[in-house]
Amino acid sequence: MHLPVKTVLITVALGLYLPANAQEHDDHAAHATHDTHEHHDHNDQGADSGQASHDAHHTNAGPAITRTEDIESALEQGGEPIVADVLGVVCDFCALAMNKIFGKREEVAAIYVDLDTKALSLVLVPGASLSDQTIAELAIQAGYRIADVRRGDEALGMAS
Amino acid sequence: MTTARTALLLVIGCLTSIAAAARPVSYTGGWTVIGESDRQSSSALVHYTPSPNMSLGLKTEVNRDSDFAIYSVHPTYLAKRWFDANYQGNLYIHGGIGVASGINNNPQSDQMALYGGVMADWETRSLFVGYRNRYLDAGDYASQFMQAFRAGFAPYEGDSGDLHTWLMLEIDHRPSDPDSVTATPLVRFFKGPLLIEAGYNLTVNQPLFNFTYRF
Repeated sequence: MHLPVKTVLITVALGLYLPANAQEHDDHAAHATHDTHEHHDHNDQGADSGQASHDAHHTNAGPAITRTEDIESALEQGGEPIVADVLGVVCDFCALAMNKIFGKREEVAAIYVDLDTKALSLVLVPGASLSDQTIAELAIQAGYRIADVRRGDEALGMAS
Repeated sequence: MTTARTALLLVIGCLTSIAAAARPVSYTGGWTVIGESDRQSSSALVHYTPSPNMSLGLKTEVNRDSDFAIYSVHPTYLAKRWFDANYQGNLYIHGGIGVASGINNNPQSDQMALYGGVMADWETRSLFVGYRNRYLDAGDYASQFMQAFRAGFAPYEGDSGDLHTWLMLEIDHRPSDPDSVTATPLVRFFKGPLLIEAGYNLTVNQPLFNFTYRF
Protein backbone atom coordinates (compact mmCIF):
# COMPACT_ATOMS: atom_id res chain seq x y z
CA MET A 1 0.00 0.00 0.00
CA HIS A 2 2.97 2.30 0.34
CA LEU A 3 3.42 2.72 -3.38
CA PRO A 4 -0.12 3.96 -4.00
CA VAL A 5 0.18 6.35 -1.06
CA LYS A 6 3.37 7.73 -2.45
CA THR A 7 1.84 7.97 -5.92
CA VAL A 8 -1.18 9.84 -4.65
CA LEU A 9 0.88 12.24 -2.57
CA ILE A 10 3.20 13.02 -5.46
CA THR A 11 0.28 13.52 -7.81
CA VAL A 12 -1.55 15.76 -5.37
CA ALA A 13 1.62 17.77 -4.77
CA LEU A 14 2.12 18.23 -8.49
CA GLY A 15 -1.49 19.25 -8.88
CA LEU A 16 -1.26 21.81 -6.09
CA TYR A 17 1.82 23.22 -7.71
CA LEU A 18 -0.26 24.27 -10.68
CA PRO A 19 -1.48 27.85 -10.47
CA ALA A 20 -4.99 28.18 -9.15
CA ASN A 21 -6.12 30.00 -12.20
CA ALA A 22 -4.04 28.01 -14.63
CA GLN A 23 -6.96 27.52 -16.94
CA GLU A 24 -7.19 31.24 -17.36
CA HIS A 25 -3.69 31.54 -18.69
CA ASP A 26 -2.75 28.43 -20.58
CA ASP A 27 -5.31 28.35 -23.28
CA HIS A 28 -3.31 28.70 -26.44
CA ALA A 29 -6.37 28.78 -28.60
CA ALA A 30 -7.74 31.71 -26.66
CA HIS A 31 -4.51 33.64 -26.67
CA ALA A 32 -3.97 33.07 -30.33
CA THR A 33 -6.76 35.48 -31.03
CA HIS A 34 -4.79 38.29 -29.42
CA ASP A 35 -2.70 38.40 -32.54
CA THR A 36 -5.49 39.98 -34.48
CA HIS A 37 -6.17 43.24 -32.64
CA GLU A 38 -8.18 45.52 -34.83
CA HIS A 39 -9.44 48.10 -32.41
CA HIS A 40 -8.41 49.94 -29.26
CA ASP A 41 -11.32 50.02 -26.88
CA HIS A 42 -10.27 47.18 -24.65
CA ASN A 43 -9.47 47.70 -21.02
CA ASP A 44 -6.68 46.18 -18.97
CA GLN A 45 -8.49 44.16 -16.33
CA GLY A 46 -6.83 40.86 -17.13
CA ALA A 47 -5.63 39.07 -20.17
CA ASP A 48 -8.46 36.64 -20.56
CA SER A 49 -11.29 38.73 -19.23
CA GLY A 50 -10.44 41.43 -21.70
CA GLN A 51 -10.04 39.08 -24.56
CA ALA A 52 -13.56 39.40 -25.83
CA SER A 53 -12.98 43.10 -26.23
CA HIS A 54 -9.90 42.39 -28.24
CA ASP A 55 -11.87 40.30 -30.63
CA ALA A 56 -15.20 42.04 -30.61
CA HIS A 57 -14.83 43.73 -33.95
CA HIS A 58 -13.30 40.98 -35.99
CA THR A 59 -14.55 40.78 -39.50
CA ASN A 60 -14.17 37.01 -39.24
CA ALA A 61 -17.77 35.82 -39.62
CA GLY A 62 -18.72 33.20 -37.05
CA PRO A 63 -22.06 31.57 -36.52
CA ALA A 64 -25.06 33.85 -36.48
CA ILE A 65 -27.52 34.03 -33.62
CA THR A 66 -29.59 30.91 -33.02
CA ARG A 67 -33.19 31.84 -33.53
CA THR A 68 -35.25 30.14 -30.86
CA GLU A 69 -38.74 31.27 -30.01
CA ASP A 70 -37.45 33.31 -27.06
CA ILE A 71 -34.68 34.84 -29.13
CA GLU A 72 -37.10 35.84 -31.89
CA SER A 73 -39.49 37.34 -29.38
CA ALA A 74 -36.72 39.35 -27.73
CA LEU A 75 -35.47 40.56 -31.08
CA GLU A 76 -38.95 41.74 -31.96
CA GLN A 77 -38.92 43.76 -28.74
CA GLY A 78 -35.89 45.59 -30.06
CA GLY A 79 -33.14 44.09 -27.91
CA GLU A 80 -29.55 44.04 -29.06
CA PRO A 81 -28.42 40.68 -30.48
CA ILE A 82 -25.09 39.32 -29.34
CA VAL A 83 -23.31 36.13 -30.32
CA ALA A 84 -20.28 34.94 -28.37
CA ASP A 85 -18.13 32.03 -29.46
CA VAL A 86 -17.42 29.90 -26.40
CA LEU A 87 -14.49 27.58 -25.85
CA GLY A 88 -15.04 24.23 -24.19
CA VAL A 89 -18.80 24.01 -24.46
CA VAL A 90 -19.21 20.34 -25.26
CA CYS A 91 -22.08 19.12 -23.10
CA ASP A 92 -25.43 20.05 -21.62
CA PHE A 93 -23.89 20.86 -18.23
CA CYS A 94 -21.79 23.46 -20.02
CA ALA A 95 -24.91 24.93 -21.59
CA LEU A 96 -26.69 24.83 -18.25
CA ALA A 97 -23.87 26.75 -16.59
CA MET A 98 -23.96 29.47 -19.23
CA ASN A 99 -27.75 29.66 -19.00
CA LYS A 100 -27.66 29.98 -15.21
CA ILE A 101 -24.96 32.63 -15.10
CA PHE A 102 -26.19 34.79 -17.98
CA GLY A 103 -29.85 34.15 -17.24
CA LYS A 104 -29.51 35.86 -13.86
CA ARG A 105 -28.55 39.14 -15.48
CA GLU A 106 -31.34 41.63 -15.75
CA GLU A 107 -29.84 42.91 -19.01
CA VAL A 108 -30.51 39.57 -20.70
CA ALA A 109 -33.90 39.05 -22.28
CA ALA A 110 -33.20 35.77 -24.04
CA ILE A 111 -30.38 33.27 -24.14
CA TYR A 112 -29.50 30.09 -25.96
CA VAL A 113 -26.35 28.01 -25.97
CA ASP A 114 -25.92 26.19 -29.24
CA LEU A 115 -23.69 23.15 -28.83
CA ASP A 116 -23.53 22.66 -32.60
CA THR A 117 -22.03 26.07 -33.26
CA LYS A 118 -20.41 26.45 -29.79
CA ALA A 119 -22.00 29.85 -29.64
CA LEU A 120 -23.84 31.73 -26.94
CA SER A 121 -26.75 33.70 -28.33
CA LEU A 122 -28.02 36.62 -26.29
CA VAL A 123 -30.64 39.26 -26.83
CA LEU A 124 -30.58 42.12 -24.39
CA VAL A 125 -33.50 43.92 -22.85
CA PRO A 126 -34.22 47.01 -24.98
CA GLY A 127 -31.99 49.83 -23.83
CA ALA A 128 -29.72 47.57 -21.81
CA SER A 129 -26.07 47.00 -22.54
CA LEU A 130 -23.57 44.30 -21.69
CA SER A 131 -19.93 44.97 -22.40
CA ASP A 132 -17.59 42.47 -23.96
CA GLN A 133 -15.64 42.61 -20.74
CA THR A 134 -18.68 41.64 -18.69
CA ILE A 135 -19.58 38.85 -21.10
CA ALA A 136 -16.07 37.47 -20.80
CA GLU A 137 -16.17 37.66 -17.01
CA LEU A 138 -19.55 35.97 -16.82
CA ALA A 139 -18.26 33.17 -19.02
CA ILE A 140 -15.39 32.68 -16.60
CA GLN A 141 -17.88 32.46 -13.75
CA ALA A 142 -19.58 29.69 -15.69
CA GLY A 143 -16.24 27.96 -16.14
CA TYR A 144 -15.62 28.75 -19.80
CA ARG A 145 -13.95 31.27 -22.06
CA ILE A 146 -15.13 33.58 -24.79
CA ALA A 147 -13.18 33.55 -28.03
CA ASP A 148 -15.12 36.18 -29.96
CA VAL A 149 -18.11 38.47 -29.60
CA ARG A 150 -20.31 39.78 -32.41
CA ARG A 151 -23.09 42.29 -32.16
CA GLY A 152 -25.81 43.82 -34.27
CA ASP A 153 -25.92 42.84 -37.92
CA GLU A 154 -22.83 40.73 -37.52
CA ALA A 155 -24.55 38.73 -34.79
CA LEU A 156 -27.59 38.37 -37.01
CA GLY A 157 -25.41 37.10 -39.84
CA MET A 158 -26.25 40.11 -41.96
CA ALA A 159 -22.91 41.91 -41.95
CA SER A 160 -21.42 42.56 -45.37
CA MET B 1 -31.29 3.08 15.68
CA THR B 2 -28.13 1.72 14.15
CA THR B 3 -30.13 -0.49 11.82
CA ALA B 4 -32.33 2.40 10.78
CA ARG B 5 -29.28 4.56 10.10
CA THR B 6 -27.68 1.80 8.09
CA ALA B 7 -30.82 1.32 6.07
CA LEU B 8 -31.08 5.03 5.43
CA LEU B 9 -27.46 5.21 4.34
CA LEU B 10 -27.88 2.25 2.04
CA VAL B 11 -30.99 3.73 0.49
CA ILE B 12 -29.21 7.04 -0.04
CA GLY B 13 -26.24 5.22 -1.44
CA CYS B 14 -28.25 3.11 -3.80
CA LEU B 15 -30.41 5.94 -4.98
CA THR B 16 -27.54 8.30 -5.47
CA SER B 17 -24.45 7.05 -7.06
CA ILE B 18 -21.74 8.18 -9.37
CA ALA B 19 -18.08 7.50 -9.66
CA ALA B 20 -16.36 9.60 -12.25
CA ALA B 21 -18.39 12.61 -11.24
CA ALA B 22 -19.22 14.54 -14.34
CA ARG B 23 -18.07 18.09 -13.79
CA PRO B 24 -17.31 17.86 -10.05
CA VAL B 25 -16.95 21.65 -10.02
CA SER B 26 -19.99 23.55 -11.21
CA TYR B 27 -20.61 27.14 -12.23
CA THR B 28 -20.20 29.83 -9.59
CA GLY B 29 -23.12 29.68 -7.21
CA GLY B 30 -24.27 26.28 -8.40
CA TRP B 31 -25.33 23.33 -6.28
CA THR B 32 -24.88 19.74 -7.34
CA VAL B 33 -26.10 16.44 -5.97
CA ILE B 34 -23.90 13.54 -6.97
CA GLY B 35 -24.38 9.90 -6.19
CA GLU B 36 -22.06 7.02 -6.76
CA SER B 37 -22.34 3.30 -6.41
CA ASP B 38 -19.63 0.91 -7.40
CA ARG B 39 -18.79 -2.63 -6.50
CA GLN B 40 -17.40 -1.57 -3.15
CA SER B 41 -19.33 1.42 -1.88
CA SER B 42 -22.24 3.76 -2.37
CA SER B 43 -22.13 7.45 -1.67
CA ALA B 44 -23.98 10.71 -1.83
CA LEU B 45 -22.33 14.08 -2.22
CA VAL B 46 -23.90 17.52 -2.17
CA HIS B 47 -21.58 20.32 -3.13
CA TYR B 48 -21.61 24.05 -3.66
CA THR B 49 -19.34 25.89 -6.07
CA PRO B 50 -18.19 29.23 -4.65
CA SER B 51 -15.75 29.90 -7.48
CA PRO B 52 -15.11 28.43 -10.93
CA ASN B 53 -12.07 26.61 -9.52
CA MET B 54 -13.47 24.70 -6.60
CA SER B 55 -16.44 23.09 -4.94
CA LEU B 56 -17.07 22.24 -1.33
CA GLY B 57 -19.40 19.48 -0.30
CA LEU B 58 -20.63 17.06 2.30
CA LYS B 59 -20.34 13.40 1.52
CA THR B 60 -21.70 10.21 2.98
CA GLU B 61 -20.13 6.99 1.81
CA VAL B 62 -21.16 3.48 2.75
CA ASN B 63 -18.56 0.78 2.35
CA ARG B 64 -20.74 -2.26 1.91
CA ASP B 65 -18.04 -4.89 2.12
CA SER B 66 -16.36 -3.67 5.28
CA ASP B 67 -19.42 -2.40 7.15
CA PHE B 68 -18.45 1.18 7.77
CA ALA B 69 -19.59 4.58 6.65
CA ILE B 70 -17.66 7.81 6.20
CA TYR B 71 -19.13 11.23 6.82
CA SER B 72 -16.84 13.86 5.40
CA VAL B 73 -16.26 17.35 4.14
CA HIS B 74 -15.31 17.00 0.52
CA PRO B 75 -13.53 19.77 -1.40
CA THR B 76 -12.70 19.45 -5.09
CA TYR B 77 -10.24 21.74 -6.78
CA LEU B 78 -10.13 22.35 -10.51
CA ALA B 79 -6.38 22.52 -11.01
CA LYS B 80 -6.47 23.02 -14.72
CA ARG B 81 -8.91 23.20 -17.60
CA TRP B 82 -7.91 22.99 -21.22
CA PHE B 83 -10.14 24.56 -23.81
CA ASP B 84 -10.67 24.60 -27.48
CA ALA B 85 -13.76 25.12 -29.55
CA ASN B 86 -14.23 21.37 -29.85
CA TYR B 87 -12.90 19.87 -26.64
CA GLN B 88 -12.51 20.37 -22.95
CA GLY B 89 -10.02 18.74 -20.61
CA ASN B 90 -9.96 18.95 -16.84
CA LEU B 91 -7.66 18.03 -14.00
CA TYR B 92 -9.21 17.92 -10.56
CA ILE B 93 -7.82 17.25 -7.12
CA HIS B 94 -10.33 15.89 -4.68
CA GLY B 95 -10.14 14.93 -1.06
CA GLY B 96 -11.98 14.68 2.18
CA ILE B 97 -11.70 14.56 5.91
CA GLY B 98 -14.28 13.10 8.21
CA VAL B 99 -15.32 10.32 10.51
CA ALA B 100 -15.53 6.60 9.81
CA SER B 101 -18.22 4.77 11.79
CA GLY B 102 -19.20 1.14 11.94
CA ILE B 103 -22.51 0.02 10.47
CA ASN B 104 -24.35 -3.30 10.45
CA ASN B 105 -23.36 -4.01 14.06
CA ASN B 106 -19.71 -3.35 13.37
CA PRO B 107 -18.45 -2.72 16.93
CA GLN B 108 -15.40 -0.64 16.05
CA SER B 109 -15.27 2.86 17.42
CA ASP B 110 -15.38 5.99 15.30
CA GLN B 111 -12.13 6.95 13.68
CA MET B 112 -10.83 9.76 11.55
CA ALA B 113 -10.97 9.18 7.80
CA LEU B 114 -8.86 10.91 5.18
CA TYR B 115 -8.91 10.45 1.45
CA GLY B 116 -7.61 12.16 -1.63
CA GLY B 117 -6.81 11.71 -5.26
CA VAL B 118 -7.01 13.14 -8.72
CA MET B 119 -9.53 13.06 -11.53
CA ALA B 120 -8.88 13.94 -15.12
CA ASP B 121 -11.07 13.91 -18.18
CA TRP B 122 -11.04 14.98 -21.77
CA GLU B 123 -14.09 15.11 -23.95
CA THR B 124 -15.52 16.31 -27.18
CA ARG B 125 -19.16 16.08 -28.08
CA SER B 126 -18.68 12.48 -29.12
CA LEU B 127 -15.58 11.14 -27.34
CA PHE B 128 -14.74 10.84 -23.68
CA VAL B 129 -11.78 9.55 -21.70
CA GLY B 130 -11.37 9.88 -17.97
CA TYR B 131 -9.23 8.71 -15.10
CA ARG B 132 -9.59 8.97 -11.37
CA ASN B 133 -7.90 7.59 -8.33
CA ARG B 134 -8.26 7.77 -4.60
CA TYR B 135 -6.43 6.69 -1.53
CA LEU B 136 -8.50 6.24 1.60
CA ASP B 137 -7.16 5.94 5.13
CA ALA B 138 -9.99 5.13 7.50
CA GLY B 139 -7.86 3.92 10.39
CA ASP B 140 -8.64 0.38 11.44
CA TYR B 141 -11.60 0.26 9.12
CA ALA B 142 -9.73 0.34 5.87
CA SER B 143 -6.76 1.52 3.92
CA GLN B 144 -7.69 1.43 0.26
CA PHE B 145 -6.39 2.58 -3.05
CA MET B 146 -8.41 2.54 -6.24
CA GLN B 147 -8.03 3.85 -9.72
CA ALA B 148 -10.31 3.71 -12.73
CA PHE B 149 -10.10 4.52 -16.38
CA ARG B 150 -13.12 5.22 -18.51
CA ALA B 151 -13.62 5.70 -22.23
CA GLY B 152 -16.77 6.27 -24.18
CA PHE B 153 -18.42 7.67 -27.24
CA ALA B 154 -21.71 9.27 -28.12
CA PRO B 155 -23.49 7.59 -31.02
CA TYR B 156 -25.04 10.95 -31.94
CA GLU B 157 -24.41 14.58 -31.01
CA GLY B 158 -27.34 16.13 -29.19
CA ASP B 159 -27.82 19.87 -28.90
CA SER B 160 -28.79 21.90 -25.83
CA GLY B 161 -31.73 20.34 -24.05
CA ASP B 162 -31.66 17.16 -26.11
CA LEU B 163 -31.24 13.73 -24.61
CA HIS B 164 -27.55 12.93 -24.85
CA THR B 165 -26.51 9.29 -24.84
CA TRP B 166 -23.07 7.86 -24.20
CA LEU B 167 -21.79 4.31 -24.29
CA MET B 168 -18.85 3.77 -21.98
CA LEU B 169 -16.52 1.18 -20.56
CA GLU B 170 -14.91 1.56 -17.16
CA ILE B 171 -11.94 -0.48 -16.00
CA ASP B 172 -11.20 -0.18 -12.31
CA HIS B 173 -8.27 -1.41 -10.27
CA ARG B 174 -8.43 -2.04 -6.54
CA PRO B 175 -5.25 -3.78 -5.43
CA SER B 176 -6.66 -4.89 -2.10
CA ASP B 177 -9.66 -6.68 -3.61
CA PRO B 178 -9.62 -10.34 -4.66
CA ASP B 179 -10.90 -9.24 -8.06
CA SER B 180 -8.45 -6.43 -8.40
CA VAL B 181 -9.34 -5.46 -11.96
CA THR B 182 -12.92 -5.34 -13.16
CA ALA B 183 -14.79 -4.08 -16.22
CA THR B 184 -18.10 -2.26 -16.28
CA PRO B 185 -19.85 -1.31 -19.50
CA LEU B 186 -22.39 1.42 -18.93
CA VAL B 187 -24.72 3.81 -20.62
CA ARG B 188 -24.90 7.49 -19.72
CA PHE B 189 -27.99 9.60 -20.32
CA PHE B 190 -27.67 13.32 -20.11
CA LYS B 191 -30.48 15.86 -20.34
CA GLY B 192 -30.45 19.37 -18.97
CA PRO B 193 -29.45 19.32 -15.30
CA LEU B 194 -29.67 15.55 -14.93
CA LEU B 195 -27.11 12.89 -15.74
CA ILE B 196 -27.86 9.21 -15.15
CA GLU B 197 -25.59 6.24 -15.64
CA ALA B 198 -26.48 2.58 -15.52
CA GLY B 199 -24.09 -0.28 -16.00
CA TYR B 200 -23.13 -3.74 -14.93
CA ASN B 201 -19.82 -4.94 -13.58
CA LEU B 202 -19.11 -8.04 -15.63
CA THR B 203 -16.33 -9.27 -13.36
CA VAL B 204 -18.13 -9.29 -10.02
CA ASN B 205 -21.71 -9.25 -11.32
CA GLN B 206 -22.89 -6.08 -9.69
CA PRO B 207 -25.05 -3.32 -11.13
CA LEU B 208 -23.98 0.29 -11.33
CA PHE B 209 -26.31 3.23 -11.05
CA ASN B 210 -25.13 6.82 -10.88
CA PHE B 211 -26.60 10.25 -11.15
CA THR B 212 -25.73 13.91 -11.01
CA TYR B 213 -28.26 16.69 -10.66
CA ARG B 214 -27.19 20.30 -10.97
CA PHE B 215 -29.15 23.37 -9.97
